[in-house]
Amino acid sequence: MKVKVNRTVVDLFEGAQVRHALLRYCVRRRLGLSRVEGAEVFDAYGHRIDLDAPLSEGQTIKCKLK
Amino acid sequence: MKKCVLAVLCACLLGAAAAAQSKEIHIISANDIHAKIENFPQLAAIVDSMRAVYPNLLVLSAGDNRTGEPLNDLYEIPAYPMVALMNQVGFDATTLGNHEFDSGQAGLAKLISLSNFPYVCCNIFPAAKWNMHITPYKIFDFEGTKVGVVGVVQVGASGHPDSHPDNCTDLGFTPVLETVQEYEWLRDECDVVILLSHIGYEDDVKISADLPWVDLIVGGHSHTQLEGGEMHNGLLITQNVNRLQRVTHITVTVKDGKVVAKTAENIEVEGYPQKNKVVEEMVKYFSNNPAFQRVLCQLEKPMTSYEELGCMMTDAWRVETESDIAFTNTGGVRYDSLPAGPFTVSDVLRLDPFGNDTVQLELTGQELKDMLIATTNNDTYGFPKVSGIICNVIFDKKNPSKIKDVVITNPDGSKFNLKKTYKVATNSYTAAIADSPRKDQGRSLNRTTASLIQEYLEHQGKIDYTGVQRVFESVSKK
Repeated sequence: MKVKVNRTVVDLFEGAQVRHALLRYCVRRRLGLSRVEGAEVFDAYGHRIDLDAPLSEGQTIKCKLK
Repeated sequence: MKKCVLAVLCACLLGAAAAAQSKEIHIISANDIHAKIENFPQLAAIVDSMRAVYPNLLVLSAGDNRTGEPLNDLYEIPAYPMVALMNQVGFDATTLGNHEFDSGQAGLAKLISLSNFPYVCCNIFPAAKWNMHITPYKIFDFEGTKVGVVGVVQVGASGHPDSHPDNCTDLGFTPVLETVQEYEWLRDECDVVILLSHIGYEDDVKISADLPWVDLIVGGHSHTQLEGGEMHNGLLITQNVNRLQRVTHITVTVKDGKVVAKTAENIEVEGYPQKNKVVEEMVKYFSNNPAFQRVLCQLEKPMTSYEELGCMMTDAWRVETESDIAFTNTGGVRYDSLPAGPFTVSDVLRLDPFGNDTVQLELTGQELKDMLIATTNNDTYGFPKVSGIICNVIFDKKNPSKIKDVVITNPDGSKFNLKKTYKVATNSYTAAIADSPRKDQGRSLNRTTASLIQEYLEHQGKIDYTGVQRVFESVSKK
């Protein structure tokens, strides 16, 4: 399942949640994984979503890491 | 002059009559509560105060009431605390979320039978043998003003909601939009029509274009925080993030049988200053869950290392998922010793406390090797713990923190085939951080890794992992 985090496309297992997309994004961008838990995440409409939110194929999310 | 006074009086009376025809329906909606039972005393206080002011109050849940809190999910009757608390608060209806299926068909049927509120969902067709009382819609009558609520649950690519496939057998599911459309006749019967949806915000917006006969969508599933509600295609859509941080108060004004206004506002639950004392006592009672002290098996000799406990954990995942191999990031093994004696549910939850899901992948031997190395590179606790293989990890002499090679063998010492495809189980955290080349990213089995450990220990009866070691480390000679 491909999901876009900011401008980075990450490939994840089926059933992954927002938290998993951010973990992969941080690994890909060589950022500390501890930053995931405090992240602010938004869907394609700009609404805030939480780290446990489910993801679907092709979804776009944006995150602000702290 | 008399005629003039009479005309003013008539106008006042007509105005009063027209105002009398206008009626407000109030709704408190929650979604994706995920068993956040600690916030129920505040929720109950909110509902109590709203009911005192607005007798025409509907309390709705858009699904995923359970899963995510061991206090609830591991209760003697799994998820019963949520049902008892929802009964006490006085929920009027819930729809089914994908996690409502997490304790299987019989488990869901049991919870429904214990609920004082209906489960409203139009696109599920359970086999009669489950004796599952689910209604597609429910009409509420507020002194002549009728409110129709039709429910719907998300259906994934696999043809069922995102729960373990075994939990959805003999439960038929039909496509969301086509099925909801079959209830358009509710428009003729009701003054207000609500879609209680567990399909996620983006899909709520999509289907709103095809549902002009619906007044509002009370949504869930995507944990989307809306500021009050949003109008899309003339429908008001509401949703909040998960775990009962907020609920939405929706006001629908009906005049002459038509909805003339609809507004929504968020109410903070966590920070709400009042608590319902009865519900608070219930939460305290459920928090002292005796099920946590339940003995799963006997530990014959003490466990004395992360390696022994990691071997046990991964054995559990491998055996219970019928995989060939299992592995975990070492940081996922949370303690390194346990005395001989009873191995309890509490011990398992301390060992594997993160609520990670189990992910199963199909990997070649080479892909597995790459994934093990990638996990090590992104987990500060070292090389993973494994089951179904033996690993000789060789670190670079010049750079001892860097892995030079991993030689994998089968448990009997024979050569491991790097080209063969294996079924591999791991946890969702490891699957996310191991960014290595592989064709299959895997799929969640919608079962927590901790639940697999519990099942494994119960099946074993007694265990002894004294001296078990599967990962050996050395430094290269060159």
